[in-house]
Amino acid sequence: MNNSDTTLQNDNGTKRKVMTLNLGPQHPATHGVLRLVLELDGETVVKCTPDIGYLHRGVEKHIEHLNYLQVIPHTDRLDYIAAMANNIGYCIAVERLFGIEAPERAQYIRTMLAELTRIVSHLLWLGTHALDIGAMTVFLYCFREREKIQVLYEKLCGARLTVSYPRIGGVKRDVDAEWLDELYRFTEEFPTRVEEYETLIDQNRIWLKRTKGIGVISAEEAINLGLSGPTLRGSGVPYDVRKFMPYGVYDKLKWEVPTGVNGDIYDRYRVRMEEFRQSNSIIRQCIEKMPSGPIMADAPKFVLPPKDKVLNNMEQLIHHFVLITKGPATAPQGEIYVATEVPKGELGFYIVSDGSGKPYRLRIRPPSFVHISALPKLCEGGLVADVIANIGSIDIVLGECDR
Amino acid sequence: MTFKELIKKIFFIEIIGGLALTLKHSLSPAVTRQYPEKRITPPPGARGLHALTRNESTGEAVCVGCGLCAAMCPTNCISIYTSEGEDHKKIVDRYEVNTLRCLFCALCVEACPYGAVLLTPHFEYSGYSRSEFIYTKDRLLENWDKYMGGAKSREYFDKFWTPKSADFARVDAKGSESGVNQ
Ligand code: SF4
Ligand code: SF4
Repeated sequence: MNNSDTTLQNDNGTKRKVMTLNLGPQHPATHGVLRLVLELDGETVVKCTPDIGYLHRGVEKHIEHLNYLQVIPHTDRLDYIAAMANNIGYCIAVERLFGIEAPERAQYIRTMLAELTRIVSHLLWLGTHALDIGAMTVFLYCFREREKIQVLYEKLCGARLTVSYPRIGGVKRDVDAEWLDELYRFTEEFPTRVEEYETLIDQNRIWLKRTKGIGVISAEEAINLGLSGPTLRGSGVPYDVRKFMPYGVYDKLKWEVPTGVNGDIYDRYRVRMEEFRQSNSIIRQCIEKMPSGPIMADAPKFVLPPKDKVLNNMEQLIHHFVLITKGPATAPQGEIYVATEVPKGELGFYIVSDGSGKPYRLRIRPPSFVHISALPKLCEGGLVADVIANIGSIDIVLGECDR
Repeated sequence: MTFKELIKKIFFIEIIGGLALTLKHSLSPAVTRQYPEKRITPPPGARGLHALTRNESTGEAVCVGCGLCAAMCPTNCISIYTSEGEDHKKIVDRYEVNTLRCLFCALCVEACPYGAVLLTPHFEYSGYSRSEFIYTKDRLLENWDKYMGGAKSREYFDKFWTPKSADFARVDAKGSESGVNQ
């Protein structure tokens, strides 16, 4: 804490100094390692300057030295709360670059898991956001449901958080009936759980006071800032990548895009609560309509061959060795940008390929990075206590912001 | 504010609703498990500590030292040192996994054509020094004996050593399965 040089004029002509306050990078409510330099006049925020980069790992540069298959575990660690959605986004981008397509069953599995990830991510968001604002119980209840989903993940692919489950051209492992039954039981119970969260905070007067009319952002400003996902939809813009540029099987299912009206923290909260229900219904539809068939694309130049054939079939063995040591070295040249709707907004992968097995350049467009740029707009002129509520409401994760 | 809203506000209706819910949950059994007193067994296929497969008839490691697992590893945490033995055979002198760098992504398992390396569900292996986390060939084989041998490994390779031919199989109109990717 130190005094800045900025001074303000009092009504009687005297001057007062503005105080500079560092919020973060170790503040528990900054959801990671975000640092905000706040200039305060009393309790009012005069200026808010986000300072990012504490979690910078140089992932984009690192990826240039890895082949396409090796990148998947690194995409887990962007938005580690919603690792599955990142993997899927990356795999779809690479598949479009290679000109291959995952089989239908794999598409259904991916869509289902992307929505499950949306639920996980929103659960963590709701829990921590409520905790920041002062509602402890919601946090505990959210983690109860989150644990169930993570146990499902673990049964499916062996990991709870950094799943690395989708593969280029399909998914790692088929889902069995038992697993789907367990997931279906979860979706049957989940809407009542959402109602429980709503009972606790939806009408709670403290919650309303802390969220209604705070951190307002109009639709126009939100679009100009490049916001996406629930943060944008809270302002009433019905933009959703899943509807506008459908991937997976979203265009074959029935679901809606919930939007808000006022663009305040409460509306962003309402949008995410509605997304719980929509995602839940998408998962159910996926399970009901899941076709049988292959889960990996028939593209031997890009997809690892079946293990039972590698040592029995010379072509397969050659493909196996080349794919692992050189990567998919027959990748077409060119560039591609593919956006997917991850729980936090629009996640884009821009890949430049020079025809070798490694991406020449891979640029990640993370939603959190863009959302942080909206923080000054949200916080300036408000109270210092609302800064925390604002950070929570734009749902950022610094792993993907700093990359 | 309507009359109904006013009544709700005066009588703390929403707060009472919330309290009733928490009361209900406080009477139902707790979902928290008291680790480490109560442990759960991770499901088969959970990605934990590495192990090297031991050939059950010879007792030796299955690994032939081809180096594919090391090539596939995104963090370069596998080091393999080989030498030439009699009859120009490749001998794996050292096989080390630096679990401090490992992402537990199981790409090494996917890369190995022999099923010679795998991830066991064992995850509690903290230690006091860094060198303890560099797993040598002998220790990795020991891990196999301890956590993976026998039926467990057969289940693992059956279910988690992917992709399999069935994953590429297409169900045609008659309903019979035919393998593609020949
Ligand atoms: S699990 Fe992944 S990071 Fe660990 S050794 Fe295997 S390939 Fe490398
Ligand atoms: S573990 Fe498998 S992939 Fe790695 S060197 Fe041994 S045989 Fe090759």
